[in-house]
Amino acid sequence: MSSEVKTKEKVNMDPKYIAKLAITLFVTCVVVAGLLGGVNAITADKIAAINWENTQKAMKAVVAEPDSAEFSEALENTEAMVSAAKSAGGSLDSVYEVLVNGEHAGYAIKVVASGSQGSIEMMVGVDAENAVTGVSIVDNSETSGIGSKVMANDPLPSGVGVLDQFIGKSAADGTLTVGSNVDAISGATVSSKGVTTGVNTALAVAGAIG
Amino acid sequence: MNLGKQFKEGLITNNPVLVQVLGMCSTMAITTSFFNGLGMGLAVLVILTLSNVIISAIRKIVPDKIRIAMFIVVIAGFVTMVDLLIQAFLPDLAKSLGVFIPLIVVNCIILGRAESFSYKNGVVASFFDGIFQGFGYTVVLLIMCIIRELLGAGTFGGGILGPVNAAGTHMGIQIIPSQFPIGMLTLPVGGFLVLGTLIAAMQWALSKSKNKEESK
Repeated sequence: MSSEVKTKEKVNMDPKYIAKLAITLFVTCVVVAGLLGGVNAITADKIAAINWENTQKAMKAVVAEPDSAEFSEALENTEAMVSAAKSAGGSLDSVYEVLVNGEHAGYAIKVVASGSQGSIEMMVGVDAENAVTGVSIVDNSETSGIGSKVMANDPLPSGVGVLDQFIGKSAADGTLTVGSNVDAISGATVSSKGVTTGVNTALAVAGAIG
Repeated sequence: MNLGKQFKEGLITNNPVLVQVLGMCSTMAITTSFFNGLGMGLAVLVILTLSNVIISAIRKIVPDKIRIAMFIVVIAGFVTMVDLLIQAFLPDLAKSLGVFIPLIVVNCIILGRAESFSYKNGVVASFFDGIFQGFGYTVVLLIMCIIRELLGAGTFGGGILGPVNAAGTHMGIQIIPSQFPIGMLTLPVGGFLVLGTLIAAMQWALSKSKNKEESK
């Protein structure tokens, strides 16, 4: 092909050459896509299982009775839930119903709020009365040594963990605000505010369910 | 084909990170713990070797004009496969490397070797080029990990050795008591400092050995 192609390159629009390029690329893509499909078939179930296990672990950390709690599949995010989350300053990822001995015992709500270095993904548990039963951080990129203290649930001066202070709070407490009814870790105000927004978002979502 | 020369090039005289200065983003971002460096290095080594072999094998049937597009398709294919396999079988590694595995697609080491080596050389030579260049990359990552982890957090072997924290990750063996390390080194700025120092040391060593050869 070499010399022949070179003379034709001047024309640049030779349909045969262009077709050859297109077909070569197309065939390569088909082969690669086929291989990827194969690998995906092997790994998809396994990855889904690992993700579900991680989600369950995060949910167990935020419910009142981790040993007897069971979780539903993710509920459908309704319009009302999404807009409630938005107006509280965060965004809703997913909601799971918490069941203890088969009875409704609240929700585990995964929300995303912005911290100082990006988003904080967190799981918030609420009981049947929509009061917080626990908060845990699923994923974050807060500054190591500063915001990471909030993520690691370091104790406040009062001795209560910064994430544990939310336990028992509910929509009846009004909007939670750092400085008035929430304490921040000193030096990590932005991260503390992010977590607070997350809890507010989760409470708003809980209020909007059903 | 000269295996010894290729090996020396990959590891020292033409090291992908310290001499060609390729793949900076991942080098800086993930070299905070030993496990990350090892995982990333091996992932790149495997992908580089596979893509080198395939690209070398198809180099005669690929039209010159679309070779870059073909390279990217091949590389992206392998990266996605490795990404899925890591997620399925090494979930801890997948969690700590996060987005940097998919980003291997645009890691210049792989595209650079495809263009400058495997597109011009035979399959066997390309295979060894992939292994040696990948090895050179891994070694530099590990050196950076060890320096940054030891001086930045005071630990060694984070991710595989030492006590386990609440999140289930190994914290590494504490060598320097935790109040002394320079925390800055584990932040991105520390990556720049360590990498800059390593590149400078490498250039110094290379120019010194060159002078020696010339004076002979």
